[in-house]
Amino acid sequence: MLGPLRLSLAARAGALASQLSQAAGKGRGETIQGRVILGLDPDALSKLAVGRDIILVSGTNGKTTTTAFLARILAEGTDENVSTSEFGANMSAGIATVLAARPRNRYVVLECDELYLPAMCEALDPKVVVLLNLSRDQLHRTGEVRKVANLWRSSFTGDEMTFVINRDDPFLEYAVADAGHVLRVTFGGRKHPDAATCPNCSELLDWSQSDYRCSCGLGTLSAQIRADQRLSGPGRNAVLAIEAARLMGAVVPVNVQTDLTAEAPDRVANYQVSGNQVKTRLAKNPESWRESLAQISASKVVLSVNARGIDGRDTSWLWDVDYTSLVGKQVVCTGERRRDVAYRLSVQGIDVAVADSFALAVEVLTGKGLDSEPVEAIASYTAFQDLAAEALGLHNATTGLDR
Amino acid sequence: MSKLSIVRLYHDLLGTYGDQGNAEVLMHRARARRLDVDIIEIAPNEHVPTSGDIYLLGGGEDGPQAIALDMLRKDSGLNRAVGNGAAVLAVCAGFQLIGTSLPDREGNIVAGLGLVEAATIYTDDPRCVGELFVTPADDSLGPLLTGFENHQGRTQIGSTMQPLGWVESGFGNGLHQADSSGKIPEGIIHGKVIGTYMHGPVLARNPQLADHLIQSVVGSLASFDDPFAEAFAQERRDAIRG
Repeated sequence: MLGPLRLSLAARAGALASQLSQAAGKGRGETIQGRVILGLDPDALSKLAVGRDIILVSGTNGKTTTTAFLARILAEGTDENVSTSEFGANMSAGIATVLAARPRNRYVVLECDELYLPAMCEALDPKVVVLLNLSRDQLHRTGEVRKVANLWRSSFTGDEMTFVINRDDPFLEYAVADAGHVLRVTFGGRKHPDAATCPNCSELLDWSQSDYRCSCGLGTLSAQIRADQRLSGPGRNAVLAIEAARLMGAVVPVNVQTDLTAEAPDRVANYQVSGNQVKTRLAKNPESWRESLAQISASKVVLSVNARGIDGRDTSWLWDVDYTSLVGKQVVCTGERRRDVAYRLSVQGIDVAVADSFALAVEVLTGKGLDSEPVEAIASYTAFQDLAAEALGLHNATTGLDR
Repeated sequence: MSKLSIVRLYHDLLGTYGDQGNAEVLMHRARARRLDVDIIEIAPNEHVPTSGDIYLLGGGEDGPQAIALDMLRKDSGLNRAVGNGAAVLAVCAGFQLIGTSLPDREGNIVAGLGLVEAATIYTDDPRCVGELFVTPADDSLGPLLTGFENHQGRTQIGSTMQPLGWVESGFGNGLHQADSSGKIPEGIIHGKVIGTYMHGPVLARNPQLADHLIQSVVGSLASFDDPFAEAFAQERRDAIRG
C-alpha cells in the first residue's frame, strides 16, 4: 500500500506546487510540479507508466511538432484518451507532470530530450520510440553529435520496444543497430551536414549518390516505408508520426499528412510589438535557422539571439548558417548576443543594426509608424519564450522548460 | 604580394562549430586592406597545395580528427607548406593534431604532424567547456583574447615553446599545473603557427589575432575601422566580469 500512497501524495504535492508557481507569476509551473513529484517519490515515473501505452519522440529538431501530430492522430484515430507534452518540457520533471496529470489516459505521447532518452526508455518501458534526426545542437551540453549517437546505441539493445526512424540519418541507423524492432522510413536520402564520417567505423561515408554508403555496411538495411523526397521538415515528421500511430493501432485517414502539415505550428507566433504584427519563428540550431531563413518573405527582419543554457551557451554555430537570403533586406539584431549576430551579418555584407530590445528593434525598422511594411523575426529558444511570456503578461517567467 | 591565399582544410572533418568563420573574417579584414584574397577549400582526400599563405584547421570529433590526421600525414603538403614559411591557425582538434602526439580513436597515443612541440592526452577529468579568457603572450594581440572552449584533451607544450597566452578564466591547455611563470598556458605560438583551444570562429571574437595572421604573411597592415568587430570583441572581453 505504501507505493501507491506515496505516489498519490507526491502527485498532490506536485499539483499544489504548480498552482503556487502560477500564482506567483513564475510561468506555467509544469517543471516545478514534476520536480516535486520526483522529489517525493523517486520511482514515480515507472509507477505512473504501468499499464499505459507510451510513445517517446526524440531527436534534435521537430520533437514538439511531431509529438503534437502524433497525439492528434491517436486521439482522432482511436477510442482512447491521450496525454501529451504540451509546452516542450521534455526532461524527467516535465514528463512526470504529463504522466501524473491524467493517470488513467491509456496513450501517452511524450517529447523527450536526447540525453534523457535512455533513462526514460528504462523507466517508462515505451511501446514505440520515434527518432527524428540528430545534428549539432547545444554542444556545450551534449559534447558531440557522435556522443549522443553512442549513448543511444549502447542503451537501445532490447526488443521490447519498436523504433520508428528516419533511416536517411546515419546517426539514427547507427543508434538502432542492436535494437530488436525497427521500422525504417526513407525520404530518398539527404546529405547530412555532420556525417562526413561513418558513426560506426569512422571511415569517410560515400555521399556521392545523395544517400550514404559505407564499406562497413551501415545503411544497407532497406526501409519498409518509402516516403516522398520533396517533403519539408514538418512533412517528414508527419510521416514518422503516422507510422508510429499505425503501430499503436490507430486508424489513420488518407489525407492526414497534408492536413497536419498545412496547419503545422512549426513554432511560429504573431506578436503585437509597438503596434505592429511581427511574425516570429523559433529557431534553435543551424538546421532550424536554415529552414526559418528560407521562409522569410518580409524585407525588414529582426533576429533575436540569447545564449542561455537551452539556446546553447556557445554562439559559434552562427557562422555555420548562410544568411545570403537576407542580403538586400534591412536587419536589426537584438537579444543578449546581438553583437555576435550583427558582426557575423556585417561580414557577409548585410545591412545590419543593433537594438537593445525586441520592441526597439521593431521601432528601428518601422520608424514607430503603424501599417508600415511587414516585419518578420527569428528568435532563439529563450528569446522566443521571453516574447511569449511577455505576450501572456508573465514577468520573470521561467518558462515551462527544464533547465 | 599579389594574392593572399587561404587554405581551408577538410571542412567536413574539421568544422564542427562555426570554424568557417575564421576564413570569412580573414577574407573580410584582408579585403578591407585592398588585398586580393583567394580561399581554397580542400576536401578530404584532395591534395593539399604547398603554395598557400595561411592554412586553417578547425575542430572536429574524435573519429573525423583521426581520419584528418591520417590524410595530412600521408599527403605531407601541410608540413611542406609550413617548411616554406606558411602560417597556420589550428583550433581545438586541429591544435591537437599539429602537435607531437595525441590519442587515436582507441585511446592509443600516436604521432601528430609535429609542426609544434605539444603532447595531448585524454584524462578522466571532466570535459573543458565554457568561456575562455586569455592574456596574450604577445602585447600586439591586445589586452585579452576570448573564446569558447569544448574539449576533452589536455595538452602539454614543450618547455621551450611559447604559449599563445595565459589563462585568466577557463581551462586553456587544461593541465592543472601552472608553468614556470605561475600561470596556466593556453594554446601555442611558434613562428607563424598558432594553435588554440578557443574554438570555432576565434578570429571573429579577436580581430587583432586575425590581423596578426595576415601580417605574418604580408607585413604591416593599414588600420581598419570596423565598429561591429570592435563592439563584439569588447563585449566578449567585458564578459570576463561575469
